[in-house]
Amino acid sequence: MDERPSRSLALALCFVAVIWVSPFAWLLSNAFDTSAVGILRLPQDPGVGNFGRALSGSSGLQMWNSLVIAFGTATLTVAVAAGAAYPLSRIRIPGRDAMLWGLVLLRMMPSTGLMIPIFFSAQKTGLLNHLGVILALSILNLPFALLLLKNFFDTVPIELEEAAHVEGASLFQIVGRIVLPLSRPGLAVVWFFTFTTAWNEFLLPLLFSRAESGFPMSVGLYAAFGQQGAIDYGFLAAYSILYAAPAIAVYFLLRRNMNTGFAGVGVKG
Amino acid sequence: MSLRNDTKPWLSGGFGLVILASIPAVLFVGALIFFTVWVVTFSFTDLSLVGAKSVNWSWIGFDNYERLFTRRGFMESLWVTVSFTFFSAIVGQSLLGFLLASVMRALRGPLRGFIEVAIMLGWLLPDIVAAFLWSATTAENGLINSVVLGPLGFDSVNFLNEFAFPVVVVANVWKGTAWSYLLFSAALDSVPRDVIEAAQVDGATWWQRTRRVTLPMIKSHIGTNTLFITIWTFTYFPLVYAMTGGGPGRQTKVLSIFMYEQSFKIGKLGYGSAISVAMLLVVGLLAVFYVRLLKEPE
Repeated sequence: MDERPSRSLALALCFVAVIWVSPFAWLLSNAFDTSAVGILRLPQDPGVGNFGRALSGSSGLQMWNSLVIAFGTATLTVAVAAGAAYPLSRIRIPGRDAMLWGLVLLRMMPSTGLMIPIFFSAQKTGLLNHLGVILALSILNLPFALLLLKNFFDTVPIELEEAAHVEGASLFQIVGRIVLPLSRPGLAVVWFFTFTTAWNEFLLPLLFSRAESGFPMSVGLYAAFGQQGAIDYGFLAAYSILYAAPAIAVYFLLRRNMNTGFAGVGVKG
Repeated sequence: MSLRNDTKPWLSGGFGLVILASIPAVLFVGALIFFTVWVVTFSFTDLSLVGAKSVNWSWIGFDNYERLFTRRGFMESLWVTVSFTFFSAIVGQSLLGFLLASVMRALRGPLRGFIEVAIMLGWLLPDIVAAFLWSATTAENGLINSVVLGPLGFDSVNFLNEFAFPVVVVANVWKGTAWSYLLFSAALDSVPRDVIEAAQVDGATWWQRTRRVTLPMIKSHIGTNTLFITIWTFTYFPLVYAMTGGGPGRQTKVLSIFMYEQSFKIGKLGYGSAISVAMLLVVGLLAVFYVRLLKEPE
């Protein structure tokens, strides 16, 4: 069957692609131009000076803040989710399906609607800091992580565990030596996915961080380009690239595993 | 409990460990439920962020909900949100995503890879980077003015001041189309090739094939896609807030921004909670509506 696109179709697609790509071209040309003024042109003073500035001083500190928040959230979420996902996958608890659907519902609930109680609780418990952001993001991400990991554990063959049990292995050994190593790809997907979510998060740290030194990159970038007056385009472009890089890298790293949990709501009865 | 009958022996042996490992997750889910109950409860109070009412709040019944309809702000924001969701998600992302997916199927080679990566990159960017890019692109000395309008002899336009709503819609289409594109690509792969070929042999045009054969076969995917992007877009905060802050005036003040301002700028946490509850209710109703639509027989 010959379904080659016509010439006009190819042209239209090229047009779409150009529109889609042109902001990126603008971003690159400004980031690598140390005298950038925010227009699209070949760099007048090519160099990586903008990146140097974006990595030093308070903006360097903001990158560190983002790393702490994203790393902490991903690790805490995976640890908490794995602990409950394994029993959920292996034990036929009465009402398990209802529980899983409850988790799906919780996962679909827009977090924006819960910002007031989250902020209020953090204020009352003195957690308006990075630890509070990590805890809140982990709580919000847990249903999704739990569902994904439960589905991954379902694919780990139970026969291996039975054999190990017959050989006299304890639960601790079975989980540590068999289940966790076998589900490493699944754990990695959930870890990186949560890392990206936390890395990109804007509203929660906007509410939680009061001082510029505590901003993660999302809030830092917002504060920088929201300022009135002369906008330092070269710096902002370099900062944007540094900020966007991990999220993009994670995707291409996990591309193959991604479709396993694509919609993230697969509940097998 | 009759748990132990069909429980794997190594699990019933280490039951204490199982319980211990599950406790944190139970607490986290409990916190989520607590937050939900909290927001509903305090939507009936006059709790404030600061001042006397941050401690000595009182029950005020349905006053906050009454205010949603009688005071200026909520209905306007609801309308902005509905239009934003309709144009950027349901029309923009879905339709463009489907068209791209169905056109690109016929495409092989570097052009396809190039377009796919371009669409994906927009999706993968953090919201604030996308907001910065589109603010800069549409600024008075930005990309559109310097590359398109300038050379054609037009005066430069500050798009975010004069066309704020269309600009945030375009930005969100640019940002979010990848999800619909990926989902519809997968959906179209699930349509058997011989069905399409049979329709082709019978002389059906592309439009007829799409309408009569493809669309009915991927109905559930369309429903899933619409459900997800509606929920996300309806409560989406960062992109619009970082680009316009809700302005100029109320032109782009979507509900999430309205809720944020009322709660954390003005400090009316009780009223903000009522707005949150209203948002959750609308999203819930939409979800039920889509699920019903999907289950309906032909």
